[in-house]
Amino acid sequence: MKIDVKHIADLSRIALTQEELDKFTPQMETILQSASVLKNVDTEGVAPMKKHIPFSEMRDDTPIPPLSQEEVLKNAKHTEKGFVKVYGKIFGDIEES
Amino acid sequence: MEYDTIVGLEIHVQTKTESKMFCSCPTGYFQKEPNTHVCPVCLGLPGALPVPNRRAIELCILMGLATNCTINKNILFDRKHYFYPDLPKGYQISQYKDPICSNGKVTLPSGVEIEIERIHQEEDVAKSTHHKEASTNKEYSLIDYNKSGIPLIEIVTKPCIRSAKDAKDFATEIQQICRDNKISDADMEKGQMRCEPNISIQEKGKWKYEDGKILPIGDYKLNNKVEVKNIGSITAVEKAIEYEVKRLTEEIANGKEIIQQTRGWNADKGITEFQRSKETADDYRYMPEPDIPVIEISKEDIERISKELVESPAQRRLSFKEKSLLEKRVTELGYDPEGTAWVRENTKFSLEKAGPTGPSEPDYADFYFGPIKSHMNATGMGWDEISKTDPNTPNDYYRLSDAKKQGLITRNKLDEIYKESLTTGASGASILEKTLQESKRSASNLEDIVKEIIRNNPKAVADYKGGKTSTMGFLVGQVMQSTKGSANPNEAKNILEKLLK
Repeated sequence: MKIDVKHIADLSRIALTQEELDKFTPQMETILQSASVLKNVDTEGVAPMKKHIPFSEMRDDTPIPPLSQEEVLKNAKHTEKGFVKVYGKIFGDIEES
Repeated sequence: MEYDTIVGLEIHVQTKTESKMFCSCPTGYFQKEPNTHVCPVCLGLPGALPVPNRRAIELCILMGLATNCTINKNILFDRKHYFYPDLPKGYQISQYKDPICSNGKVTLPSGVEIEIERIHQEEDVAKSTHHKEASTNKEYSLIDYNKSGIPLIEIVTKPCIRSAKDAKDFATEIQQICRDNKISDADMEKGQMRCEPNISIQEKGKWKYEDGKILPIGDYKLNNKVEVKNIGSITAVEKAIEYEVKRLTEEIANGKEIIQQTRGWNADKGITEFQRSKETADDYRYMPEPDIPVIEISKEDIERISKELVESPAQRRLSFKEKSLLEKRVTELGYDPEGTAWVRENTKFSLEKAGPTGPSEPDYADFYFGPIKSHMNATGMGWDEISKTDPNTPNDYYRLSDAKKQGLITRNKLDEIYKESLTTGASGASILEKTLQESKRSASNLEDIVKEIIRNNPKAVADYKGGKTSTMGFLVGQVMQSTKGSANPNEAKNILEKLLK
């Protein structure tokens, strides 16, 4: 089972060195290998196992008080005037945190 | 070389709910302090569980019903992954394979039918603005999560739109449907509605439209399409497409290959600007959303929601077409439910009072789009305000429309009487009565005035007698001028014709 770790890392904006790629690729492939035994199960005629709920059981459209701005920003690394501040280019390297 | 324009439109609409799509945060975030309408769910904190809002899904279904879509029996959500600070979970909850609504259509005022491929439910993302630090020259973004998780529906058409005008008309139609059914205020300036056209041009006769797809004929290679974002108004939809078609035509004429790309509309400059190329297909790694169960919609649910449906612009237009209204009026009334109600109410009154010979839809439409609308435009008053200050009853409107129809008063006079009734609070019928009496009194003087005009304009009179009948308009104008508009131009014309025979 082949996996393109570099592509996945790029999509997640994670910079990996060649050493890291060489190390992670076989690890991730082993994980996929282990999970792939599920493919051998015969699911012919078996309905997908997902919970169903009727429309009426969905949440009512009633707002409840949100968090305070202070609480929202509590875990942000940088803030400015009530905003969360993130360094990096628009389509480029967003800072890792 | 001749090219055809091929456009598909994606329209995002924020639907009008009290709480967000997957959490109970309040939605009214416009112009509020940043990050004050936020909770662990819409902030994407680990372990937070999304719980769908029933009303939001009802509004999505309502949109589907209003656009003749098929409604899915089961609602399933998917995760669409991409990495960006406006999306703190790392994925957006959306719908991939099974949208709530599919295969709809909308008829434009021109009669063109636009096919809708799908309407699906998703959540809005946070708002980010981009800046540069003066001291360090570092680029950064400021994020406000208030918008994160607002219910959002995406309406996707098939690539069946063939002109910028049709794209604009479709967007107008969607906006009107949203407003009439209270699905959304659909204000583009506030970001409640966003239009993103996909545009390409293809050589005439070298492509075909089949099963909702554009296919090449023979060995023709289709030109790539361009997506345009940042369109902030309905008119900009038309302008951006016109600009892009012109630009693409020039690029190809200069021998350049079109790359698949996203461009941004710059309203100040009236141009589109390159944002990014899409050489590799987006890789969103869609997967079923495991945190939300399958939601079952019954026939009873659909029936209950369809009771909310109001008359569509297309239905309004159809009803007025049958009453032989001018095409322009038909289109205007299609987008004006209040005007429609007013015209219908008054026509009904007139029919009960005077039967079929009284003023009817075309007369009342002229009244509505004439005196009433021009007063609204001049004062900036909305329909509610003007209804409150207008002292006239259906009987007044009837008397005025009837007098206008019979040629007793001119359109300008009608304007004046209506305006006077609004400013003085006197009824239109009483002002009309006064006006008619005055004109009766002046009618006896009218012949003297006409004689004087004939004396003073020997050349025009000679021209008229010599066969140049268009001079009549000029002579009538002279009469109107000398009576300061109080004369009835039809009467003046009759007297002139009699005296010049």
